[in-house]
Amino acid sequence: MVKEILIGVFRIKKFVVSFSILASIILIGVVGPIVYTVVPYKTVGPPEAKPSETYPLGTDAYGRDLFAQVLNGISTSIYIGFLSAIVGTAIGVVIGTIAGFKGGLVDDVLMVVTNIMMTFPAMLLMILVAAYIEERNVLYVALIISFTSWGWIARGVRAQIMSLREQQFVFMSRMAGLSDVKIAFADLLPNMASYVFMCFILLTSAAMLAEAGLSMIGLGITRGYSLGTILFWARMKEAVRRGLTWWFIPPGAILVAITTSLLVTATALDEYFSPRLRGR
Amino acid sequence: MMFSVHNLTKTFTVGFFRRKAVNAVNNVSFELDKGEIISLVGESGSGKTTTALMILRLIRPTSGEMFFEGKNILKLKTREERKKYWRQVHGIFQDPYAPFNPMYKVDRVLYQVFSLYDKQLDRKEKDEIVKESLNAVGLIPKDILGKYSHQLSGGQRQRIMVARCYMLKPKLILADEPVSMIDASTRAGVIELFMKLCNDLKTSVMFITHDLGLAYYTSNRILIMRKGEIVEEALAESLLEHPQHPYTKRLLNDVPLLCSKWKDF
Amino acid sequence: MPLVSAENVKAYYHTSAGSVKAVDGINLNVSRGEILGIVGESGCGKSTLASTLMMNVRPPLRLVEGKISVDKYELTSMKRKEIRSRVWGIIISLVPQSALNALIPITKTQDIIKDVLKHHLKNLRREEIKNLAKKRFQELDLPIEVLNMYPHELSGGMKQRAVIATSTILNPKLLIVDEPTSALDVSTQKIVLKMIVDLRRRGIIESVIFITHDIAILRQISDKITVMYAGKIVESSTTDEILENPIHPYAKGLINAVITPEREVKKRGLSYIPGQPPDLLTPPTGCRFCSRCELAKDLCQKQEPHLTEIRRDHFVACHFMQ
Repeated sequence: MVKEILIGVFRIKKFVVSFSILASIILIGVVGPIVYTVVPYKTVGPPEAKPSETYPLGTDAYGRDLFAQVLNGISTSIYIGFLSAIVGTAIGVVIGTIAGFKGGLVDDVLMVVTNIMMTFPAMLLMILVAAYIEERNVLYVALIISFTSWGWIARGVRAQIMSLREQQFVFMSRMAGLSDVKIAFADLLPNMASYVFMCFILLTSAAMLAEAGLSMIGLGITRGYSLGTILFWARMKEAVRRGLTWWFIPPGAILVAITTSLLVTATALDEYFSPRLRGR
Repeated sequence: MMFSVHNLTKTFTVGFFRRKAVNAVNNVSFELDKGEIISLVGESGSGKTTTALMILRLIRPTSGEMFFEGKNILKLKTREERKKYWRQVHGIFQDPYAPFNPMYKVDRVLYQVFSLYDKQLDRKEKDEIVKESLNAVGLIPKDILGKYSHQLSGGQRQRIMVARCYMLKPKLILADEPVSMIDASTRAGVIELFMKLCNDLKTSVMFITHDLGLAYYTSNRILIMRKGEIVEEALAESLLEHPQHPYTKRLLNDVPLLCSKWKDF
Repeated sequence: MPLVSAENVKAYYHTSAGSVKAVDGINLNVSRGEILGIVGESGCGKSTLASTLMMNVRPPLRLVEGKISVDKYELTSMKRKEIRSRVWGIIISLVPQSALNALIPITKTQDIIKDVLKHHLKNLRREEIKNLAKKRFQELDLPIEVLNMYPHELSGGMKQRAVIATSTILNPKLLIVDEPTSALDVSTQKIVLKMIVDLRRRGIIESVIFITHDIAILRQISDKITVMYAGKIVESSTTDEILENPIHPYAKGLINAVITPEREVKKRGLSYIPGQPPDLLTPPTGCRFCSRCELAKDLCQKQEPHLTEIRRDHFVACHFMQ
């Protein structure tokens, strides 16, 4: 079945294009720092130098190589994005499944919690938590972002479970003596796999933007480089006003490229899954 | 009496602020003996499917009791007891697409029921039983096993569901509109299967249907259900000759017949 | 002169995998004042035939061959625009399957009627339209309150009757209905069937083509029955004749598979036809029922039987009846 899906999905033009862009950027982020061994946090040249042969993207206000920063930043940003997405999706799926399957009081309580999480301004919560943690590493930032983003996944999963729960194949499994947990895993979740996967991709995209947002106001990772922190320093040194375009445009452009290609990939997957299900 | 239902009621509350109580099933009582075939006849919305789901323990009744071989089936505490119940009382539903989870091959629907067996069997024994059951319902195992539900016809799928029951050799089968979504020319085959199960294994069958023709053809007794209540119960022949309740009379009057024409038309 | 005359009609669905020969060489006549029942199982092509007779043929469906005439119009030689303005609603009206699910939830019944009337009789004023609708509803024993209601306020049966009343507001000569009662309970079904028969009795329509899988309904209302299988007509005759003396093995099997609460049916038992209809993408040569027929011989596989008149007004397409 997985093979069928892979073959089918690569036939969609949108998917091929966006997936290629995504894959290339990830590849650059992983392989780049190994090939381009310049250390991003050391002063290696004159400050605010324009892009040239020695410094492909120029240098920032402290004379640090921007190309190195960007290469390191890509993998950090994507890593935080994926990590947040995995944790956020997991929380959302678990809560949504329990709420949708059990119903009644459990459902009501879980939905109150979910609703509160969803209406609370995420950025505000993230800022509050982040400001209290002195040393913020990649894990903390990812967790902060994921804790505020699982709400809509929980709702979506819950809705699907509630509708699938009444399907006759669930009755059949119940009459065969399967326990609730087994039914949830064996019967219900596989039917939602495509939905959950798309949620994951969209969450990655949103998480990367959230990280960039946090970093730009100085509440991102305290050490190391992500695309957001590069933009933070660009902002601190007033790069926009001073026309240091080589500083703020590359990280922004790459961030946009990654998030857009993630979104288009999700759209292409949706296109693939929907008509197929309709065809059945 | 093998199976009896007493004052079974299911109330649904509808509405948000002004909650209204709707009795989908209202004070239903009847009995069923070993080897009997009965039909619960009613139109859509009469509560017949809800009754079936309650008997199969897939929905909780609001009130009422049900006894199977002397045991109160609403008070089965352990999972073992419940599994034992489902081993002996099983269900087949109307839509031949629906019982199959589209993500899995149809084999799953058959192999699933081995968990209801008393003893553990090895793979070879299981395969044998599955093949024997498929043959018993007129299907060729190699045409069926390994396929997905959308690759098979409605008649084939419905037969697989009967094969599933055959594997369990239950004492009671509830069949909810088992042939209404199958082509007429293949219906008789599935209906004969139920009759065979009853004859060979002494399985009792309860048909849930809107089709009086099916009820009359197959059953010893017919129960007519309307708006959640049983309005008439009689032997099939008596129902046809001397219907008592006005609703039954109306049904018999309005059903299009093959051998005679409507008089008031 | 028959009202409807269809000669060698072939309508195929063109797909990337090939053409599905849904209607493959149909010859059909409907006399004036006749109710013709077309019966067959899923996939036999009866719904496609209904659309084709109306010339409501849109890709991927295409009319590949054939001549269709209704009243004085030869539909196959007319342009679509002409058919739309002069034939649909006025000469032929089609109530497709699940028509009652296609009602727009925000239009009242009278607005739908208004749309139909305004499209064809452009100079009618609002008052006249309202009166026409009222009069027709009263004629058909439909409560006029229904005119002022939305679809969700109406029961299934009432919706179907409203749809049929709307389709016949301009007194078409031919009404084609496709499974109009399959979602309704028996009593409502009887009311809808009575309405259709009434329409003919009152002269609002002349003939009806009634498409269904339920033969018992046709026993009650149709004058003639045509049995379709795999895109072809296998038998056609008057209702009494075909139900008492079916000749084609499929027709026989189908009629003997009908279950009704009648002693004769219980005594007769139910017939069963194993197998499935052929794939119409690549239909077999010869008789299409051959693989499921117990009378099949070599000839059946090689040569296709043609619809021939065996007895007066009784047509069969089978080699054994020659």
